[in-house]
Amino acid sequence: MAEVNVFKKNVEPQKRNPKLEDMKHTMKLFFKNKLAFSGFVVMMIYFFIALLDFVYPQYLGVTNANTMLSFLYGQQPQLVPPSPPTLSKGIMYIFGTTQYGIPVLPAMLAALKFDMAYSIAIVAIGVAIGMVIGTASGYLGGMVDEFMMRITDIFFSIPQIVLALAIIYTLGDNFIFIVVAFMIIWWPIYARLSRSLALSTKEMRYVEAATASGSSKFRNIFVHVFPNVLSPIFVQISLDIGIIVQLFASLEFIGLNRGNPYLPELGILINWGNQYIVYGAWWPIIIPSIFLVVFTIAVSVMGDGLRDVLDPKLRR
Amino acid sequence: METEVKQSEVKEENYVEVRDLVTQFFTFKGIVKAIDGVDLSVKRGEVFGLVGESGCGKSVTATSIMDLVPDPPGRIVRGKIYIDGFNIISDLDKLAQIKVKSETNVKVKRNKRLIKRHNYILSKIRGDKVAMIFQEPFLALNPVLSIGYQIVENIMLHSRIDIINSIIRRETLGEDGVDELIQKIVKTKDYDERRRIVNRWSREYGVPDSDESIYDLINTSEDINYVKKELLSLLAEEKTGIDLQPLSVAREYYKADDELFALNLNLIEAEANRNESEAEHLRQQISQKRSEMRSKFMSFTIKHKLMRKRMDRPLEKESRRRALELLNLVNIAGPERVIDSYPHELSGGMQQRAMIAMALAANPKLLIADEPTTALDVTTQAQILELIKELNVVTGSSVLFITHDLAVIAEMCDRVGVMYAGNLVEQTSVKEIFHDPKHPYTMGLMRAIPRADKKRSADQKLESIPGTVPNLITPPSGCRFHPRCKFAMDVCSEKKPKLVEVEPGHKVACFLYSREYVGEPAGEAQ
Amino acid sequence: MELRYFVLRRVLLIIPTVIGITVLVFILLRSFPDSLLVSAYINPHSTLPRQEQIQIAKEQLGLNLPVPVQYFYYISNLLKGNWGFVTKPFPGPVLLGIELFMPNSIQLAIFSSILSILLAIPIGTYIGSRPNTFADQAGRVFSLVGYAMPPFVLGILLILAFGQGVSNWGGAVLPFNGVVNVPTPVPHWLLNQETGFIISSPTHLVFFDALIHGDPRVAWSAFLHLVLPVVTLTYTILAGLLRFIRAGMVDATNQEYVKTARSKGVPEGMIIKRHIRRNALIPTITVMGLLIAALLSGVVVIEILFTYHGLGWFAVTATLDNQIYGVLDTTLVFGLILVFANLIVDIVYAFMDPRIRY
Ligand SMILES: Nc1ncnc2c1ncn2[C@@H]1O[C@H](COP(=O)(O)OP(=O)(O)O)[C@@H](O)[C@H]1O
Ligand code: SF4
Ligand SMILES: [Mg+2]
Repeated sequence: MAEVNVFKKNVEPQKRNPKLEDMKHTMKLFFKNKLAFSGFVVMMIYFFIALLDFVYPQYLGVTNANTMLSFLYGQQPQLVPPSPPTLSKGIMYIFGTTQYGIPVLPAMLAALKFDMAYSIAIVAIGVAIGMVIGTASGYLGGMVDEFMMRITDIFFSIPQIVLALAIIYTLGDNFIFIVVAFMIIWWPIYARLSRSLALSTKEMRYVEAATASGSSKFRNIFVHVFPNVLSPIFVQISLDIGIIVQLFASLEFIGLNRGNPYLPELGILINWGNQYIVYGAWWPIIIPSIFLVVFTIAVSVMGDGLRDVLDPKLRR
Repeated sequence: METEVKQSEVKEENYVEVRDLVTQFFTFKGIVKAIDGVDLSVKRGEVFGLVGESGCGKSVTATSIMDLVPDPPGRIVRGKIYIDGFNIISDLDKLAQIKVKSETNVKVKRNKRLIKRHNYILSKIRGDKVAMIFQEPFLALNPVLSIGYQIVENIMLHSRIDIINSIIRRETLGEDGVDELIQKIVKTKDYDERRRIVNRWSREYGVPDSDESIYDLINTSEDINYVKKELLSLLAEEKTGIDLQPLSVAREYYKADDELFALNLNLIEAEANRNESEAEHLRQQISQKRSEMRSKFMSFTIKHKLMRKRMDRPLEKESRRRALELLNLVNIAGPERVIDSYPHELSGGMQQRAMIAMALAANPKLLIADEPTTALDVTTQAQILELIKELNVVTGSSVLFITHDLAVIAEMCDRVGVMYAGNLVEQTSVKEIFHDPKHPYTMGLMRAIPRADKKRSADQKLESIPGTVPNLITPPSGCRFHPRCKFAMDVCSEKKPKLVEVEPGHKVACFLYSREYVGEPAGEAQ
Repeated sequence: MELRYFVLRRVLLIIPTVIGITVLVFILLRSFPDSLLVSAYINPHSTLPRQEQIQIAKEQLGLNLPVPVQYFYYISNLLKGNWGFVTKPFPGPVLLGIELFMPNSIQLAIFSSILSILLAIPIGTYIGSRPNTFADQAGRVFSLVGYAMPPFVLGILLILAFGQGVSNWGGAVLPFNGVVNVPTPVPHWLLNQETGFIISSPTHLVFFDALIHGDPRVAWSAFLHLVLPVVTLTYTILAGLLRFIRAGMVDATNQEYVKTARSKGVPEGMIIKRHIRRNALIPTITVMGLLIAALLSGVVVIEILFTYHGLGWFAVTATLDNQIYGVLDTTLVFGLILVFANLIVDIVYAFMDPRIRY
């Protein structure tokens, strides 16, 4: 460690604006990491599709995005066997159809929007709650801290899917409540993380100095502790988004979300496809699975890359 | 391990000789020219001090001597490092080809086979011939292994033959050995002398634990025969009745292994001298030796692979005894307790003592101490320094002592080298360096230390050298000190001064002492 | 000595967590109307009139008392073994279901975690000691895919590749449905009379019971049924473990003590095994708790995919069939399993890292 410090001191001459230089350097490092960068690109593509579908649903042939049935353009849902991938019926049928004869491609594209929206909503609320509670309990310490940590212990002591089952069962089995259940499950992760970060920032000299100069505890939390907690939280978020989509799909796969059975969602698509494996129809399941896995790989690769450049210990 | 390798080009008195050492770090910001042509030698038995501001390359020099530079990013690029007459990096160019495309784009192509051999050679030299203690003992000791394990490991690596010898000597100890002791004892009536004799004897025969009881026994009676009988029965208890047959096989195996190592050293030397015919001959010898060993020790190696733990247990037990002795040697209180504790359970001073005990485990002839006291508090610092000095006297091994503290240099060392920005700028005896510093940088350092013994007059203030240590990616051209030097001349920024002997035993790298550029010696120029 | 105190302390620390879990489950339970809580206790075949049964159940659950007192009733009922009733997947007490189905889940979890640890340590050591080589990159891709792929997707792919899905194109390889191929006639020990499920006795694990009863064909079938679920779960955990072991190895390699070991002349192989790996495994153990939680989540999903009758399957069917006690009691049990697993992880941690025994 000592060597590295010596090295930094010597090699970096006086910077003009350290924060900005640092940002620039971080960006450069991140874009240099090819894997992380391609993860970023893939995620941006997914994000862009989701956005496009949100703004101009008709481009993708989806008029009513609320239910998957809209792909049938007004027809009644019928249990027809899935038809294999073909180009003869148009680009939308390139990946074949799934249950009810719904074409796979537009269903997947529409699903993206939901997957993106709920996962972002879950981490956003989770971070908001977790960061406030975690930072405060880490910074205030004492009984508050002890109590908060015991609470988060409980959440870490029940497997996530099981806890989700229980909460969803209690609240009601539909899309919105699944999202709410995930928010309830997810905040302790951020609470713990920001607590440990707050604890380490608390010891830093400038926070001590600020406390000594008489600024209030809460002001300190907002001005000094929060900004330092942010970047690791950001890394954690990018790693979590993939896991949330995974778990969401898992829940749907085991048969939850009975309240919105026609929701365009990757997990539902995979679940539908699963029924047709025995008939030798691979496309309704393989293609959405690949779509999902590529997404989670992309975000986790990006998250790893982010951590590598943001964590001063890993950064070279 | 005694090897027949002798190289006439190295002076016998120099245990370590470093010539034109260049070590660089290939980082994404550019090439750090950390060491740029260092010449340095450590004589047998002396304490050599290396001093300089932090970041000037002292640690890199020390790690280079054992070829311990972290790779990547660092590599020794050029130079010779003779340890006990053998150049450990003679095959440097073949180990890896370094292609410098630009400052930030350097490709290192490694030769895996040769690196393997290189590592094999180094693993026999490190710890055995040269050992090192580090600045922060807390980081340098492995946190999950007990102190005892870490010392025993070292003994087991380098002193197996000694260990087996002492076991065998103990187990076969009979009347002859006891007679020898009694002969010596009867010669003297001095109790202290007797104690010393008993101590030495018990160590030699691998029964150091019975030291006290032997001594007591000897003093109980004047009747030699009675004492002899009692001694024999006492020592019989010491014997574990272990089967000596496998041990002597093991000893033979390790001896053959050492011979193989010596052949390898010779081979490397022959290769370095481009002596193809001899190299070919040695290669044949090596492969012959190998197959010989394979057939002769087949059952031993197989058994050792399968039941390593069981076969090594007697050796480990013996090593543990030796580890306790070492802990005693470095003045650790309660070695029986310390040996089973973990690094975090010890204080900084204790950790550093344990570290020193570990380094001494295989009786190395050179101890490199890289700022061993910087991380310790002041009182402990003094104790550790004293210990190192004492060990230097007792064991007779040389010490390469690295520090940034000139006061410590004055106290500890015989000779000193002064480093600046990757160069050795001055090398002389301690007395000279304080009374007649020649290099402008050294002069600056001298002026920067407060001295209690001299009364300072008003104008003789403490000065610091202006400017800072340069960035070693783009170091100043010519003499690296020239941007900060008061005496800088035109030539200083163009050419690099060589380390030359300006007075007997006093080497300086500065143009002020070269008649070519300055009319008269610099002493007067001041 | 100190280790004993550490273990004791750690065991005591379980208490607040377990209390917390029961409080959480109790809160979820109380958020349902009384009538629902009581209705599970009503036995239509009983001779007692319905009204009277309701009265008895209410008294038993303490529903007429204030809520905090109800919590103590809840706890005492738990301790007495009165865990409520379900009508599906079989009519009877939940505790019976837990007793019958839990061994299967534990079996899956233990087999896959042992297998993944046995694989992860050598592989992780290998790739972690030669970073950025081809082997390392391959290992990283392998673990990245496992990390990014939900277990059920992997399970489906495995079914497609090795399961009966292949039978469409020729030959079934591995079974992917249920715990065993039930032979006819059904051996008495294989069928649970009370519930009508294929739950063998005495261990409730078909493989071992078949060995006990000396039926190698059933044992072999049970073993084959284990393969796909265990492989799926193993991959998930292995992926996570590899990530951490590799990172730990790389991190430990750059520590000072490795330099010390080199300076002593320890050969590279020994440095990796003794000096680096021990230290690299320590951060891995600290995330083991999270991995086990993920494993248990995976067990739930995998049991549904492979219709493997375990606790997870029981929990999910209870949820889908609105069996309130089935859902919440299994939540409690899963919580207890995880708490116990974390306890073991922490004790192993203390064994591995002398620094934390204080
Ligand atoms: N691992 C490394 N990577 C890059 N540069 C290094 C590394 N280790 C040392 N250096 C460089 O080598 C130079 C000498 O460092 P060092 O020998 O540690 O100085 P000191 O004299 O304080 O012991 C420094 O300028 C530093 O930048
Ligand atoms: S060579 Fe020149 S610049 Fe360097 S120390 Fe001597 S006088 Fe100063
Ligand atoms: Mg240093």
